[in-house]
Amino acid sequence: MPTEGSDQDRIYRQAAQIYGAALERLARAYEADAEARRDLLQEIHIGLWRSFEGFDQRCSLRTWIYRVAHNVSTSHVLRQRRARLQNMVGLEELENLPDARVNDTDQRHSLKRLVALVQQLKPLDRQVILSYLEGLDAASIAEITGLSAGNVATKIHRIKNILAKRFHAGEQK
Amino acid sequence: MTPESPNPNVTEIWQRQPVEGIKMSVEEIRKRSAKFEKRIMWRNVREYVAGTIAAGLFASFLVKSHDLFFQLACSLIIAGLAYMAYQLHRRTSPRSIPAELGAANSLQFHRAELERQMDFLKHIWRWYLGPLIPGLVAFSLATMTGDHHHVLRIVLVNSFFAVCLILVWRLNAYEVRCLKRRIDELHAVETGS
Repeated sequence: MPTEGSDQDRIYRQAAQIYGAALERLARAYEADAEARRDLLQEIHIGLWRSFEGFDQRCSLRTWIYRVAHNVSTSHVLRQRRARLQNMVGLEELENLPDARVNDTDQRHSLKRLVALVQQLKPLDRQVILSYLEGLDAASIAEITGLSAGNVATKIHRIKNILAKRFHAGEQK
Repeated sequence: MTPESPNPNVTEIWQRQPVEGIKMSVEEIRKRSAKFEKRIMWRNVREYVAGTIAAGLFASFLVKSHDLFFQLACSLIIAGLAYMAYQLHRRTSPRSIPAELGAANSLQFHRAELERQMDFLKHIWRWYLGPLIPGLVAFSLATMTGDHHHVLRIVLVNSFFAVCLILVWRLNAYEVRCLKRRIDELHAVETGS
């Protein structure tokens, strides 16, 4: 057990302070139910703290944090009922769906629709779109997910198409 | 804005969404981590207690009966339960959160999780249901030979259990196929990387 003020504790505090809000947003994208979301968030924090015991700085702190958060959340999704997993779609399918443009001027409503859109995606595509929404570049997304840079670029292109199709009208205000 | 251009407003909406600002101190994390480990320990204890109760029940049948075939059947079930408990402990003890969670990228982690699930289901007959079958079959035969008046009822009950086992087997096979498909998809993405 690490001592009070160990490196593990220090890095965790730093991570929680810098990425706390991003982790909450990430948990929201993985779990719709508020109660289960709090549990997931706690699981992510515990996972992070434990993982810092083996943090060897082979990758950046940010990459490590997002990997842990996505891996814990993916396990959470995989533990859910199969039926819910079967309802998930990939970016390709989503892109080919009919144009769902809505004249949406309410930002809260836009956020709800955005969360709903993210929650229906398969885990890997969900990780890419979340990283994109958090403002990460393609190289960082590739490092977190393990996808090739080319694959990430294709997915980002699709994400932009989907977002533009679905949120374009709401952003004219 | 064209579909190809970036969509900064959407990322803004995402990043500016209200959050609860949930904070956990290191002490709290330690406590919860210990609680989590304790929960795992108790879950294991519950599994062993259930197995011990079932084995105890068959042990009492074994002691009370004077029929050699019936005693053999009970012994086989007890041995099957013991083997099952051992394998359960070895294979399915709920894993605590691995410290290397951040070392694997999402693709590797996701595939490893699916492979673990598939391996569990694929071999379930070998270690979970299979070891109990010889004992259960012997137990049914022993019951039938010892109770000639209710043979039809015993056959019906056993047939029902046999149908249930076949259903479980079919469902498992279906589940394994689905998992295999998802693993192959991820593998294709990985090798294409």
